Amino acid sequence: MTTEQILETLRAEFGGAVRGSANPSSGRLLVDIDRSRLAGTSRSLIKAGGRYQVGVGSDDRDRTATFGLIHFFAFDRDGFSVGLRTSAPVDDPAFDSITPDIPAAGWTEREYRDLLGLVFPGHPKPKKLITADDWPDGIFPLRKEVPYNLVPPSTADVAYQLDEAPPGTTCVPVGPFHSTLHEPAHFAVYVDGETIKGCDYRGFMAHRGIEKLCQTQVGYNEIPFIAERICGICGSVHSVAYCQAVEMAAGLEISRRAEFIRVICLELERLHSHLLLIGVAGHLIGYDTVFMHAWRIREQIMWLSEKITGNRKTYGMVIVGGVRRDVTPEIREEILSVLKNLEAEIAGFEKAVVGDSLIHRRTRGVGFVPKDETVLWSLLGPVARGRGVDIDARRDHPYAAYDEIEFAVPVVSDGDVWGTIVVRLAELFESIKIIRQALDKMPAGPILAEAGEALPPFRPGWSMVEAPRGESFHYVLTGEENRPERWRVRAPTYHNLQGIPRMLLDNQFADFPIILGSIDPCFSCTDRVAVVDRRAGRTRIWDKTELDRLSRSRS
Amino acid sequence: MRYAVPFVNLVCFLALAPLYEGLLRRLTARVQSRQGPPIIQPYYDLLKLLGKERLDSAGTWPFRLAPLLAFGSVLAVVAVIPFGGRISALAERMNAVLIIYLLTLAGAAVLFGALAGRNTFGLIGAGREMATMIMVEPILAMTLILGAVKIRSLALTAAVPAAFGASFGFSSALMLVVYLLALQAFVARQPFDIAEAEVELLEGPFIEYSGGNLALFKYAMMLKQMFYAWLFVSVFLPFLRTGVYPLDVVIQLAAMSAVFVLIGLVGATNPRMRIDQAVRYYAILIIAALGAVGLGVGGL
Repeated sequence: MTTEQILETLRAEFGGAVRGSANPSSGRLLVDIDRSRLAGTSRSLIKAGGRYQVGVGSDDRDRTATFGLIHFFAFDRDGFSVGLRTSAPVDDPAFDSITPDIPAAGWTEREYRDLLGLVFPGHPKPKKLITADDWPDGIFPLRKEVPYNLVPPSTADVAYQLDEAPPGTTCVPVGPFHSTLHEPAHFAVYVDGETIKGCDYRGFMAHRGIEKLCQTQVGYNEIPFIAERICGICGSVHSVAYCQAVEMAAGLEISRRAEFIRVICLELERLHSHLLLIGVAGHLIGYDTVFMHAWRIREQIMWLSEKITGNRKTYGMVIVGGVRRDVTPEIREEILSVLKNLEAEIAGFEKAVVGDSLIHRRTRGVGFVPKDETVLWSLLGPVARGRGVDIDARRDHPYAAYDEIEFAVPVVSDGDVWGTIVVRLAELFESIKIIRQALDKMPAGPILAEAGEALPPFRPGWSMVEAPRGESFHYVLTGEENRPERWRVRAPTYHNLQGIPRMLLDNQFADFPIILGSIDPCFSCTDRVAVVDRRAGRTRIWDKTELDRLSRSRS
Repeated sequence: MRYAVPFVNLVCFLALAPLYEGLLRRLTARVQSRQGPPIIQPYYDLLKLLGKERLDSAGTWPFRLAPLLAFGSVLAVVAVIPFGGRISALAERMNAVLIIYLLTLAGAAVLFGALAGRNTFGLIGAGREMATMIMVEPILAMTLILGAVKIRSLALTAAVPAAFGASFGFSSALMLVVYLLALQAFVARQPFDIAEAEVELLEGPFIEYSGGNLALFKYAMMLKQMFYAWLFVSVFLPFLRTGVYPLDVVIQLAAMSAVFVLIGLVGATNPRMRIDQAVRYYAILIIAALGAVGLGVGGL
């Protein structure tokens, strides 16, 4: 199937409701449709094999006197992505809810209910998602008249109303702080004895409003550094996705060498992220030995990243137009030698994990979701690939230099937590293969393309990057003051978290930590907030050498 | 002489229980390629807890009494056991069932505390603790009963010490295997640290406890695991005896550290089981333990 065929199908089915279309880039289609047919066209795209990606709401009152909404759908088999663009007049900002058909859209609609004041008649759960419990009604932070640093007075006596507990169950509060979570979030788990019968989620407790900040305060070139602080683990994913979206919108070609360096950064990140998660998974089932060894193996990647970029995390490597540091011949040798060591250590580690029958007993059949529901909930990354859904943005929507690299996409049909772990273990070896190929195939050349003039305004661009946790989606609409008019970030956890209540259903409470852990939840991604590590009350100043020595002597 | 035994028991156990705990931690760290805390860290931990505020979150007397009850019952067990092969003066008229009573009382105290605390996580932990007690205590009972069957007496003075010295037959061998398989459950270590399960239940029954109360519970747990190590040494390794009391004490303590090494290694190389999986596992052990007693009755 092609974008043209999709357009024809929509035209044939909905006639005049299809107002126009645009092909901003190859594999990208935007269709303008009438607001009244939004639900119908969305359904039709899902029927045609589309996967719901995310919705982007925007305040376009100054330009067109409307509120805009775009729902994006990916056609992974055919390598393109379609946006259904529509708008509503200011005095009636209502869009038919598509959540009854596409449950994965639930959060998008709740998000714009909170942030833009849009209304979604027919939404099954029109509750607060993002703004704080005591955020006053009628102030919608993403609207243009609201300043980015507005702090409304807080009130003490408002609380989020959790869902009604199903009859015969008791509520176990997991959160806002709980040792399973590592970040603030609140799961109200309804248990009957030890069996989970339902779950309500209240998160976004650390929403920082990065999108608003970047749309109003900083310029294109600063945003990558803010983007890489969205996530606590991924230092390149968000900045690559953002830069690619801007590059697409501006029609900017970047050098091939820079694309290969981006691939190396992204895959190093996948290596350390997967090892981190497998370690954490061990900890969550009470197997700290797995945890410690996974993190020991991971540590050499962190040191390597520090050598390449100057930092263990928040690398500052990726900027619009290319990357900031080159891979020198010495670094190349260093990477190869670390990879060799890594491969041997991971092979031994994998054997130990796969051979441990108790790990099988704790993860097999746990958090089971059948394939069709995995697709319905738009689950992403290893969470989907462990459930038989064969999607991977690196292969389906090639970006950077992935089109030149050969790699396998491991998919298993287990459908449970074990499947997601198997997939991640296999991906470790694929990542090592990818980095080796990238080092071999990397052409010489500049690492930064100069953007000539100011970027043209109001051009859309969106890009998908396969983060360790699944597809990261960034949408950029270029603006006039050297900054995006609209920048929308959707991390993979945004979808995977929505699927958690389904994964938990009828499992044992003892399995809650590992089921939640199996999506490798990154609340900071969904909350879009940086993790601040503040060592309060320290009387002694540690310099870098000492801290290095300290952390290394303990590992 | 026999009047000195309870004091020797108490001093040895109270002084050394945290050291064994430290050994466990250190060993676990080594398996996990960590350096680990100093071996005397558990002493510091207890001292630190004693200096912390004791929050009385439930505000009821069972909540305050539970740690004392747990600690007291374990101390009572320690005082009556024939540690170092000598019979305690306190144990002359007691029978082996008393040990089971006292240990169950210590477990029940944990339950009282959790129920009085009325914390959701504590209650779930209490449920799991109860299931574990029901399934694990019979195995302990069978171990003692097997000794009693062999010498045809339930007297504590006779049932435990060298119960199998006379005839180490099939029944003893089977019971040895069962005891080893249940050892981690006795001491509530992985894969059977289910009631406390840090990542899900946040220490379960102990969640509401702090300061000195928590220290008492922790101390009681350390003493309890030392008791189970001693019971293993005393029941299954009766030949480790010289007849010289101080020397026997030292030998038993050394053998107990070997048991702790085993506990540490198994604990570090296993994930936590779910309670439903664990209960099935215990059920098999109970049947095997019954079989061992049957064999013992048959004189094997």
